[in-house]
Amino acid sequence: MPNVRVLRDIKARNGVNANEILRRAYLYVARNQNLPPQVRYQAQLQLNTFGKYTRPTTVKNRCAESGRGRGIMSEFGLCRYQFRLKALAGEIPGVKKASW
Amino acid sequence: MAAIAPSRLATLTRLRCSIFQTSYNPTSIRTGAKYLRARLRGPSMVEYYPPEVSIAQFNRMSGGDWRIVDPQEDMRLADVEAKKRRGKGAPKKAKSKGAYIVQLLGYGICTSGC
Repeated sequence: MPNVRVLRDIKARNGVNANEILRRAYLYVARNQNLPPQVRYQAQLQLNTFGKYTRPTTVKNRCAESGRGRGIMSEFGLCRYQFRLKALAGEIPGVKKASW
Repeated sequence: MAAIAPSRLATLTRLRCSIFQTSYNPTSIRTGAKYLRARLRGPSMVEYYPPEVSIAQFNRMSGGDWRIVDPQEDMRLADVEAKKRRGKGAPKKAKSKGAYIVQLLGYGICTSGC
């Protein structure tokens, strides 16, 4: 069972996915200096009406196993401790403990 | 070596743009094109966590016909019941804001800082 922070992150991911195209269109209008300022301003106001969980910056990669937000190894989507546990258990292909 | 006229250079740039199919933008004005050009990030974002069906979700999907026993959830509910019996359950929802203050006064807590 994922913890509440992971659930919130999933919510943000779904929100970003659902609103991305519309947000991009408004961004294009708002940042385009060829367009009249009034139009750009209206587009910016529309951008501001989007919810918090539609912005891509609210999405954070969390540990898929424990939900930890720090120390994530992005190649595996796991935090450093879960990575160690799984690697030692041989559950991550191609990873083995170094010894020399 | 004679200096090349700026108008000639501009013509050269325009010609280069038409050949290589880039937009001619001598004043470097912001067109917002980068927001249209960038790939969509949503589809890959959604796939980050592996799909997971919890026992509660499964029970809800089955429509109450048959359910899987979830020991953790059953334990939690039993704990809540035990707490309620000892008078440690969740407090009742206040009907209005005043009701909460009345409740506090009943305990002898003053809300105005005296």
